[in-house]
Amino acid sequence: MKHESIEINSGLLIVLTLAVISIGGLVEIVPLFHIEDTVEDVDGVRPYTPLEIRGRDIYVSEGCYACHSQMIRPFRDEMLRYGHYSLAAESQYDHPFQWGSKRTGPDLARVGGKYSNEWQTQHLVNPQSLVPESIMPGYPWLLETPLDYSQIEERMVALKRAGVPYSQTQEEYDANVEKFGKEMADKLHVPNATQVLEDQAAAENWDGKPGEITEMDALVAYLQMLGTMVDFSKYEDGHFNQFR
Amino acid sequence: MSTNAVPVATEQYDYGIVKKFTIMAMVWGVLGMLAGVYIASELAWPFLNFNIAEITFGRLRPVHTTLVIFGFGGSALFATSYYVVQRTCQARLWGGKLLSEFTFWGWQLAIAAGVLFYVSGYTQGREYAEFIWPVDLLITVVWVAYFVIYAMTMVKRSQPHIYVANWFFMAFILATALLHIFNNLQVPVAWNSLESYALFGGVQDAMTQWWYGHNAVGFFLTAAFLGMMYYFVPKQAGRPIYSYRLSIVHFWALSFLYMWVGAHHLHWTALPDWVSTLAATFSILLLLPSWGGMINGIMTLSGAWEKLRTDPIMLFLITALAFYGMSTFEGPMLSLKSVNALSHYTDWTVGHAHSGALGWVAMITVGSFYHLIPRLWGTTLYSTKLVFVHFWLATIGIVLYIVALWVAGIGQGLMLRAFDQYGNLAYTFIETVSFMHIPYVVRAIGGMFFLSGMLLMAYNVRMTIAGARRPAAASHDAVAAAAR
Amino acid sequence: MIGDIFAWLGNMENSKPLALILFFSAFVGIILYVYTGKKRKQRLESYRDIPFLDDDDELDPTRQKTQQVNNDESTEEK
Repeated sequence: MKHESIEINSGLLIVLTLAVISIGGLVEIVPLFHIEDTVEDVDGVRPYTPLEIRGRDIYVSEGCYACHSQMIRPFRDEMLRYGHYSLAAESQYDHPFQWGSKRTGPDLARVGGKYSNEWQTQHLVNPQSLVPESIMPGYPWLLETPLDYSQIEERMVALKRAGVPYSQTQEEYDANVEKFGKEMADKLHVPNATQVLEDQAAAENWDGKPGEITEMDALVAYLQMLGTMVDFSKYEDGHFNQFR
Repeated sequence: MSTNAVPVATEQYDYGIVKKFTIMAMVWGVLGMLAGVYIASELAWPFLNFNIAEITFGRLRPVHTTLVIFGFGGSALFATSYYVVQRTCQARLWGGKLLSEFTFWGWQLAIAAGVLFYVSGYTQGREYAEFIWPVDLLITVVWVAYFVIYAMTMVKRSQPHIYVANWFFMAFILATALLHIFNNLQVPVAWNSLESYALFGGVQDAMTQWWYGHNAVGFFLTAAFLGMMYYFVPKQAGRPIYSYRLSIVHFWALSFLYMWVGAHHLHWTALPDWVSTLAATFSILLLLPSWGGMINGIMTLSGAWEKLRTDPIMLFLITALAFYGMSTFEGPMLSLKSVNALSHYTDWTVGHAHSGALGWVAMITVGSFYHLIPRLWGTTLYSTKLVFVHFWLATIGIVLYIVALWVAGIGQGLMLRAFDQYGNLAYTFIETVSFMHIPYVVRAIGGMFFLSGMLLMAYNVRMTIAGARRPAAASHDAVAAAAR
Repeated sequence: MIGDIFAWLGNMENSKPLALILFFSAFVGIILYVYTGKKRKQRLESYRDIPFLDDDDELDPTRQKTQQVNNDESTEEK
């Protein structure tokens, strides 16, 4: 084929350009959907509970990812500062992923359980009251805004369509009992969602305001779960290196 | 138009649509850079968040990126591509007024709606693709119309050869369509809900997003603006491009290589190593076509360097190419795994993005606009002196910005990995935040410099257009002479 | 012999070197095409002037059309 025919034929130019720009993406992305060892099999990783889903929604809509990553790299300093490096499995139910690209604030991949609920709430309302040098904005309205969970079932169904194993039928529920245990499977069952959310909000005094479910409850519940699913003490040192 | 009438370019070509996009590019540019200066100031002086949800950093940051990339950059590309395709194909824009007007209003609506949704807390949470799903659908339709207009104008051309600028614009339109569609696959919560969840999750989602993210840089912010460069640099210099054959090689190499490099944003993460290694390799290869293009642009002026002393528009265009060369060198360097280990997650990346965004994208646009605007309105620039002032404000602004973020980024990177003599971490995270205060202040000031240059340009453009509306009889000869 | 080559080509394991050969030869092909031949050089470099073919005719009506290489009526609006 003569290059000249490309130069004077717009259709050919379009087709060839399309072909040339498609190759790179195809080669790098498509295998990730096929190769089993892209995501390692790890005990403990589970889909988020209804309250955690709403907390995550708030995390996304406030743009927390603009300043906080959720991806610890396998370096000595990061592992001392934040904990074990992040595994692909730990974000497998993240739609969208929130690895982030910038740390104006510290990484949050394993922030769960590092601070008390009171600390988290106080810090979100007024960061400088706990960390004077902090440049984080305050989020006092989260404590005042009632959590809207009217569409929690639709949200779980949408996530299920994207591949997260929430259960709607008895069969799916049984599969979840097998995989995550009965206690967790109950929380992942869509018909129970509203009740499960309210129970979890009431079970712990997330935001210091009992009897009221606020956006702060959801966000703190989400933060306190981050990075706590995998029990690394069960694995030998270096076990996960084979997946890198 | 009858054949024996004098064909006036303004009637032969559709300039109305070019004018509209040009003006909106200026409007979004000023607003987007204002948002940028504000969020930069929030990092330096956090009280500016005022505990108001709508103006916190997290919500305003996508407002800034969307307005400058899609509002300013996008509208500028619509304007210049519609202008270039008509003039180099010597054909009027295909599809008539209605279709091109649709791309205008559709695009402006998408930008305005998009940012209003962000401040209200509706976002997809994907960097540079935060638009919620109804806006994504609107953009898709607009983009298809844009593609059809552009392709059909090329088909209807009266010039047998398709000038290389159009190849770059075409690659940009095609690539952006691919990227937009695949990166925005999502499941809405309900048909009447503004919220949605990404179709892919975790690793696959990260890879798709950064395949999008980097190619938005590659095709939206590079290939398309190279199309602009291949037309406006020769026109302003009054001499043809240095080597047409080099531009052909440049085109194919750039189009092929760019799509591979996105994963260098995910070094050392849970992404499989082979992908990021492959991406780093291609990132380094990419240096060659990038510099080939830069040399092609700069050498166009070879033998006429004295123009740089007298013509501030040329100064903008050539400086833009110099910054393009600088950031396409810095980019491959940052994609090396060892450098990336330090630079990733720090402000070095942000500084690099801005040396490309301000130095290359904004400067090539500004230079092209100063060339384009008097021709669109059939007049001369209100003030060339103000263009000089603008040039120096912009250059000082960029230098302050980049240097401040080199200090902030490299400094923070080194502090975070420092150990004391007992093997403990030498600094807490918050100590690095305090360290960055001064660089953040300098960065905000750099941004203010750049913004004030843009405001000056807006004034100059406004006065130029106002001047064109006065009785045109003024001096035809002067106009023709000034056009050289 | 031919069979061996086809077997090698059909093996997915070899897709990487195969793709490398394919793309590299395409690249070399473009380079050779672009940079060989005197006539081709002249033809390609003549396209440099396209942006100047209808140079600023709105500002100077006397200059227009005279330089157009491809004198096609379809520049006129239909």
